[in-house]
Amino acid sequence: MTSTTHAPGVRIRDLTVVYRTPAGELPAVRGVDLELVPGTITGVVGESGSGKSTLALSLLNAVQPPGRIAAGAVEIDGLGDVLTLGGEDLRRTRGRQVGYVFQAAQNSLNPLKTIGKQLLDLGRSHDVADPRALVRDAKVLLARMGLDGGRVLDSYQHELSGGMRQRVGIMLALVLNAKVVVLDEPTTALDMITQATILRIIREVHEERELTTLVITHDVGAIAEVADGLAVMYGGRIVEHGPVRKVLATPRHPYTQGLIRAIPRLSGDISLARALPGRPPTLGTLPAQGCVFRERCERRLAVCDTDDPVVITRNGRSVACHAVERAAAVAMRKEYA
Amino acid sequence: MITGTGVTKTYRQRGSILGARQVPALRGVDFAVPRGGAVSFIGESGCGKTTLGRIIAGLETYDDGDIVIDGTSMSGLGHRARQPFFRRVQLIHQDPYSALNPTRTIHQTLSAPLALRARQTGRSRSWTDERAEELLSLVGIDPGYVLPRYPHQLSGGMRQRVVIARALTMDPDVLVADEAVSMIDVSLRLGILSLLKDLRVRLGVGVLFITHDIATARYIGDDSELYVIYRGQVVERGPTETIIAEPVHPYTQSLLSAIPVLHGLERPGEEQVVPTEALDEGRADEGCLFARRCPFVTERCEHEMPVLGRGGGEVQRHACFHPQPRSVIPVGAGQ
Ligand SMILES: Nc1ncnc2c1ncn2[C@@H]1O[C@H](COP(=O)(O)OP(=O)(O)OP(=O)(O)O)[C@@H](O)[C@H]1O
Ligand SMILES: Nc1ncnc2c1ncn2[C@@H]1O[C@H](COP(=O)(O)OP(=O)(O)O)[C@@H](O)[C@H]1O
Ligand code: SF4
Ligand code: SF4
Ligand SMILES: [Mg+2]
Ligand SMILES: [Mg+2]
Repeated sequence: MTSTTHAPGVRIRDLTVVYRTPAGELPAVRGVDLELVPGTITGVVGESGSGKSTLALSLLNAVQPPGRIAAGAVEIDGLGDVLTLGGEDLRRTRGRQVGYVFQAAQNSLNPLKTIGKQLLDLGRSHDVADPRALVRDAKVLLARMGLDGGRVLDSYQHELSGGMRQRVGIMLALVLNAKVVVLDEPTTALDMITQATILRIIREVHEERELTTLVITHDVGAIAEVADGLAVMYGGRIVEHGPVRKVLATPRHPYTQGLIRAIPRLSGDISLARALPGRPPTLGTLPAQGCVFRERCERRLAVCDTDDPVVITRNGRSVACHAVERAAAVAMRKEYA
Repeated sequence: MITGTGVTKTYRQRGSILGARQVPALRGVDFAVPRGGAVSFIGESGCGKTTLGRIIAGLETYDDGDIVIDGTSMSGLGHRARQPFFRRVQLIHQDPYSALNPTRTIHQTLSAPLALRARQTGRSRSWTDERAEELLSLVGIDPGYVLPRYPHQLSGGMRQRVVIARALTMDPDVLVADEAVSMIDVSLRLGILSLLKDLRVRLGVGVLFITHDIATARYIGDDSELYVIYRGQVVERGPTETIIAEPVHPYTQSLLSAIPVLHGLERPGEEQVVPTEALDEGRADEGCLFARRCPFVTERCEHEMPVLGRGGGEVQRHACFHPQPRSVIPVGAGQ
């Protein structure tokens, strides 16, 4: 956030990732541009299958077959385009420069080894010269997150609660001093109090260590608590992106509007909330041309069936929608008339 | 109608150094799910919600207290004699993905329980197909589309509707929905909630709704009741809207304070309550169960255990020596 931050910037450019299916290669992420401003937390929200995890994996050039990064670039300051890295360079980047907490970190730990053993394995695979210093750093991080480091390192995964495992995941992502951190669904399946604790820890550690952070979730509330910027993903496209408070207060894309209206709320008139009609697309049902959201859209125009809306950015807010663009054009003509 | 009085359950965990460790999961819980009524249970992980749901569905035993189904006490009956009663309670799981057999079409999935039901009620086999279509329509999906398909061909929301339809094949009096919407996409959650509300009205089926996401409890009917459970004890209960808007127990206030604020749309409540420590189940039970984490703890709380009593109003009850209304929930930014 400060101009003196040491955090690196990340620029995702025109990224397309496809999965091989019986119906041919289909895009899970298509033509995505996204900039992670140094020192900020960017949240990506979207329904299941919208391509969030695939996007996150691309930051580490870690998409696995039958998936393939078909086009684009992921530039990280000081590293260059990670999509051109291979072999040793790539292996070193993961963990050292880019830390990753996988979806359901709760299950991604090895059940047969203590956390401490897994930490030492991680150190060995990155040629850490001083394992003692690594353990010390891990304990400091765990203590920072309110855990007894010694006890946690001696534990097996099944001896830890969901919230503790999530913190272990964050520790493993940060312990090699990565400056770019990707968290995929960090609070899903946690209860509210544990979730609030984890979100607070993410925010604090992010600031103390001067990180650039990407948080992926289907939960708009979690993003609202933790992120600076909000990117909304649908059918492999980023349909809206902007400062989180502004997007929540005045959502512009019809999907963002529908999503926010569908959130169960603690206060206010419950009859104002409404489920979004229709169902989320899957790879097989995504239209080959035109707007990905049109089947569920109330503002659909004829052009939406044929032309993909392009992303238009104004005053730090980006939207990809024909109807929004038309309304803006009309408003502008009025202003100049 | 299902009522529970003093329902108590203690798990015995093996393997600790001191031999078997006792884990009290439910400590004398009283509740009532009226015909067509709705009751929600909220609380942190491990506070006993699933255990209660499983006991009511006959999938778990209880150590003490009683469950009364339509006037019949379960404690007085043997295991076999209880089964027809517990069949009137159907459990809907959290995960609509693993709840359905992936190798069977929806038609096959519904046919098996319906054939059983046909035998029980002396109906012909042809009735089962009719009934399958009727139930799918009732839960808001097109039978023609869904019946020939396999679970993986359906969205999460559709799958959960199929799971609910399957539960309805048994003509239950009560549905126990344990985190039934937490794995459903946000855009579709309200659809499932209004379905549950609708089933209450149309079929008179009661709903026991278990959730982490407290806001969803508002959407299963404005006549619903909310129970807040902490370490196996009900610490506050009353009409859902009242408990959410005017909670008096510090634990309820902690839960509500933890719910993310939609900054930009809402601002946080002014008197948010944050527990002073994390949940730790393995500690002594003297005094108030929440005392070690409660920011308002006094000397008395450390030694005496508060019981669920009458609150300020007639309908709101709490188990706290120092109840105090606090505004903890987010309010609309415009207000
Ligand atoms: N089979 C079991 N054996 C031993 N202990 C158990 C067993 N099942 C549950 N428990 C313990 O009983 C307590 C209540 O568990 P329960 O699953 O009912 O909680 P819950 O409120 O449903 O939690 P969650 O919100 O995580 O689903 C916990 O302390 C749990 O560890
Ligand atoms: N290994 C895979 N093979 C084929 N399709 C996949 C694979 N992984 C993901 N997909 C598909 O790609 C789309 C995006 O998936 P994902 O990135 O996991 O979405 P999200 O994280 O938003 O839920 C989905 O339609 C999903 O079914
Ligand atoms: S481009 Fe068209 S279909 Fe897509 S969101 Fe905008 S109005 Fe709706
Ligand atoms: S009885 Fe005391 S410790 Fe328990 S919740 Fe009330 S104030 Fe807090
Ligand atoms: Mg995912
Ligand atoms: Mg449970």
